[in-house]
Amino acid sequence: MNPAELGALVEKRALLLDGGMGSLLIAAGLEPGRDPVWWNLEHPERVEAAHRGYVEAGSDIVHTNTFGANSVKLRSAGLGGRCREVNTRAVEIARRASGGMALVAGDIGPSGLTLPPVGGASVDELHDAFVEQTEALAEAGADLLSIETMFDLREALAALAAARASGLAVLASLTFESRKRGFFTIMGDALVPSLAALADAGAAAVGCNCSVASPVMRAMVEEACASVRAPVVAQPNAGQPRVTAQGVVYDASVEEFARDAAAMVAAGARLVGGCCGTDPSFIRAARAALDAAAG
Amino acid sequence: MSQKTELLEGLGRAVLEGDDEAAASGARAALSAGLVPLEAIEQGLVPGIRKAGELWEEGEYFLPELVSSAQAMKAAMAVLQPLLTSAGGGREIGRVVIGTVHGDIHDIGKTLVGTLLAANGFAVSDEGADVSVERFVARAKELNADLVCASALLTTTMAQQRALVAALKQEGLRARVMVGGAPASQEWAREIGADGFADNAVAAVAVARSLVGR
Repeated sequence: MNPAELGALVEKRALLLDGGMGSLLIAAGLEPGRDPVWWNLEHPERVEAAHRGYVEAGSDIVHTNTFGANSVKLRSAGLGGRCREVNTRAVEIARRASGGMALVAGDIGPSGLTLPPVGGASVDELHDAFVEQTEALAEAGADLLSIETMFDLREALAALAAARASGLAVLASLTFESRKRGFFTIMGDALVPSLAALADAGAAAVGCNCSVASPVMRAMVEEACASVRAPVVAQPNAGQPRVTAQGVVYDASVEEFARDAAAMVAAGARLVGGCCGTDPSFIRAARAALDAAAG
Repeated sequence: MSQKTELLEGLGRAVLEGDDEAAASGARAALSAGLVPLEAIEQGLVPGIRKAGELWEEGEYFLPELVSSAQAMKAAMAVLQPLLTSAGGGREIGRVVIGTVHGDIHDIGKTLVGTLLAANGFAVSDEGADVSVERFVARAKELNADLVCASALLTTTMAQQRALVAALKQEGLRARVMVGGAPASQEWAREIGADGFADNAVAAVAVARSLVGR
């Protein structure tokens, strides 16, 4: 699916993405500290079951289990040299789970390297980290690519350049926090100028994910939709993780999340979904809220 | 303005602006003008790094500016530190072992806390990421640490913080424990018996100072 085709699709109706993957895999037995990408090779059926939960909940697009599957991250996960294999398997798994009911977005997360002054990597190194991954995702038949949770605009642009070479539509999301003077990445990239830069660089949709729960992300979406011309994508967390006697819980309710998902679409977002802590119950409720709003 | 005031303000400005060359040359200029190292640190560098922390809290500064300020502070300290003890102003305010817990490779926040602690006069041993409980304990013992700081960015790895507190107690070490990272909280610190918690690097310095009684 090229950028124009995705543009036409989201012009017709807002699309629902999926929710968190890591927490579902942990619930299915992924050991602490083990990178979820391993399961594309070791337990494909469990990854497929997680995807299927989202397809059945009503996701229009599911993300492959490849957040940490760029060549740099894979090396530190002990999967060096297996970038193509991991990404290919992941697309096949998501494709099987979707059963033609959902599009498959090849998921791309941060490289794990940082640029000066925080780290010592170069923009070229960041770009190279994404080349093999984006090629493998595209060749394996991903319908589109989705860059997520970037905290440095420069890295997001490097990933976008690598992803655009595939010709596929690319969603590009940064993760912003709410600071005294507005919404910024930890590196200090401001919301609207960053999204405009990603749109100018050819992203089919631009937006934000992770870091904040749905009420704050609603405010981000309102600001983005007021000034950015590209379609806006938003994937909030299920609140903040808290530790209780019962274990880790996220403090947002499914109802609040679903209400905010519909509100973000009303504000102009064209793709909404969930990030950390969300599961199929959040997506099912959002599906109902979006369908009700669309009449 | 006296020459001394000018030199001290220049040091603070170099740190605030993250200019490590100006910080190092300012430190050398201060020494040749006859300032004692301790004065240059406490009245020049420290106000600069504090101001950088304030600007971060105000949303004016972000991670790159904070890191640059900490690096400038380090550059000046490299000039001043060797002369501290000889000038009788030895001022290492505590020994710290810091790391990201086993199974977790997120280290930006941890590195920043370590850098800011070092910039504020702590002797910091940064053990990196994916640090086992055994390694934390061994290093704390070896260095006779005042503080052990453990970061966890994942809800799945924060249990390591609990294991660390237990292991240090078991060994009977005197080091106090600070925990941090996205899923950590004051409530979590209390529950696992940690001595301190901070939700950002600037606050971590204040907590560390209070834990070592400075």
